[in-house]
Parts: sequence; C-alpha cells; structure tokens
Amino acid sequence: MKTHQLVLALAVALLISTPAMAQAPRPAAPPAEPEPLGALARANIAKPRPKPPFDLTGTWFIDQRNSQNTWRFGPTGPFKLTPEAQVHYDAAKKAQAEGKVYRDDIGQCWPAGLPIIMTRVWPIAMIQVPTAVYMVSGFMNSLRTVYLDGRPHTDPDVVVPSFNGESIGRWEGDTLVVDTKYFVNDHHWIDSGIPASDQLHIVERMKLVNNGNTLEIEYTMADPKGWEGEWKVTKRWNRVEDMDIAEVSCLPDLNQHMPSTQSKENVR
Amino acid sequence: MKALLVGFAGAVVILTAGASFAHHSAAGIDQTRTVTIVGVLKEFKWANPHSWMDIDVADDKGETKVWSVEMTSPTYLARAGWKSNTVKPGDKVTVTVRPLRSGDPGGLFVSITLPDGRVLGQAPAAPRAPSQ
Repeated sequence: MKTHQLVLALAVALLISTPAMAQAPRPAAPPAEPEPLGALARANIAKPRPKPPFDLTGTWFIDQRNSQNTWRFGPTGPFKLTPEAQVHYDAAKKAQAEGKVYRDDIGQCWPAGLPIIMTRVWPIAMIQVPTAVYMVSGFMNSLRTVYLDGRPHTDPDVVVPSFNGESIGRWEGDTLVVDTKYFVNDHHWIDSGIPASDQLHIVERMKLVNNGNTLEIEYTMADPKGWEGEWKVTKRWNRVEDMDIAEVSCLPDLNQHMPSTQSKENVR
Repeated sequence: MKALLVGFAGAVVILTAGASFAHHSAAGIDQTRTVTIVGVLKEFKWANPHSWMDIDVADDKGETKVWSVEMTSPTYLARAGWKSNTVKPGDKVTVTVRPLRSGDPGGLFVSITLPDGRVLGQAPAAPRAPSQ
C-alpha cells in the first residue's frame, strides 16, 4: 500500500469510529407507560362519564349584599395559631392599630392564591368541560384548574407548588368535592396576618342552589404550620350576566402611581 | 402539634386592613375624611386593574406638588360615565380624595369636577343586581 493510500485508509477508519467513541452512555429508559392525557385531549373528553349534576360555566361574584367582608377567609370562631403564624398575626394587629398595612404582598403584585382568589375584588369566570373546570379570575387573570378526569394528585416529588395549588375534583351526589394542596410556602396569605404554608390543605364542597343562580361553597381549611385543627366557612357567589373578564396585569410602573401600595404605611 | 401552639384562643378578630374595591390593602388611607384638591392634570392612565391621575397642585406657598390619585378599574369608571378621554393633560380639575394617613400628597379617588362643570364619581366595584 502506498503512503497516500495508507493515510486515506486511516482517515476513513477514524471518521467511522469517532461518533461511537464520542457517544455518552445513554441513561436507562424509564418503564414504558402511556402518557396521561391532558384535560383537553379529545380522547379524554370523549371518555364515557356520568352526566354531571350541574355546570359551573358562567361568571360569578362573591355575594356582598349582607356584608362587605364576605371576601375574607379568616377564622369565624376561636382559634389557635402556631407560634410562627402568631408572630405575623400580632405584627398585623400592631400595624393596623398604627394605621399601617402589614405584608400586603398582593399590593406588590404577588398572586392572591387560593382561597382569596375566589373572592377578591372582581368576578371569576368558570368554564366547565367533562374533564375539568377552568377558572379565570378578573383579579390578575389568575388561572385555576379543577381536574375532573379521575387523575390522582401529582407525585409530591414532581409537582410544582403554586399559589392556587393543585385541585382534584370528584362528584358526590349533587356536590362537587374539590381537594387542593401543593401550595407555595411564602407570600401567600389566608387573610391579613394569617400566612398560608406549603402544608395548607383545602377541601371545597360546591353546590348550585337558587335554581342554579347561586354557587355555594363550604370550605374546610387546615394548615398545621399555621393553626390548630380545621377552619370551616361557607360562602356564596351570584351569577354575573353583564360583565366579562378583562386582561389585568399588576405592573411595576402602574404601582408607582398607587398611593396605597407605595406609602410609608406599608410594613414589609 | 398542640405543644407547638401558643395559648391564644380569644374572640375572633378580623383584621380590617383591606378595602374590598382595590387589588390591595388600603389601610394606609384615611377612610374617615376627604380632601378636595384643585390643580392641573399632569397625566391620566386608563388601565386595569386601576386607573390613576397625577395632578399638579400648588400649596399656600406656591410650591407645586404632584398628587397621585388612585382610581378603580375602567369597568367601574365607565359605569359612572367615564371614558378614556374624559380628562386630558392640562385640564384644570377639582378632585376629592380620601387622603393618605401620612399626609403625603395622594389618596383614593372619590369624585372629580371637570372643566365643564360635570361631576363624576366611580361605580362600586361590584356587579349590578345579581341574578335570582
């Protein structure tokens, strides 16, 4: 073999072998399981299911005819906070006595989160399909999804904590029972001075009453990091037929013109 | 868990730190009184979740300060007769606000007297009569 033929042969051999040599060992493939269907997958929606007892589709607003405070979720009876939560509660009381605002994270554009997102300021639009209820709040367009397709809660090692948590619903007779957990651990409040933690667990029992014109939800809330036992409260929403949900964003340059969020009365 | 809990079990105290019309708490606002300012509109923003006005107001010493006036959303302003062009920079306006407790120039909008004499407020942040 002449020299140039030998060089060419070596070059070809090198080119052929290089990719194999550079290839990193592949990780073991996970066990083959079918990908779960999304809530809006046609095959998921088409699955046979019993007819739901009601349809939440509509726009709703918390009933404030008897009280301006119905949007609040603080305790309605005697309660015991954990020492960690009590620090916030006492600080909020002190701030209020001084005419100040304690940790108004919502005013600084943090999401309201469940449960307050259900009642805060503006109506909430709900769209029900066989596999889910989608809720879009007029308050910062916060999205909440209640899955109705039979899925379990996500693996806690995989789920991404959020302000509205993960909601799984199931029908019990004429009631939609919604179990929600996996919340964030900071900047999230049940009420003024009452923090929500990543241990917050909320069960909502939803019914339509008043010929379908009123949504009634019984809340059971527990948070071992925040308080002892369960807090229960029942609230009502009325249908809003003359209003749509608009695009709403909490923007830094807008907040600069909001005296109530910028004043020195805000205790951070 | 009980060992972790403090011994507070008093009557329910609802902290009334927030007004229900705003996206945030309004405890820094003195809800017990109003202040009326006369000035020249510097800027008006027609936006969600809040509209606002900045108004140049001269004090007794002739010094001009900018008052920031926080308003509700355009949805509820429109229901009270507002449009995006109801006021424009340079307009002389008379505005009544609920002032900041701190005394800083600013407050929550109550009403405005326009250059043509019309008076506009804002509709409450609640839907009209609910369905029954």
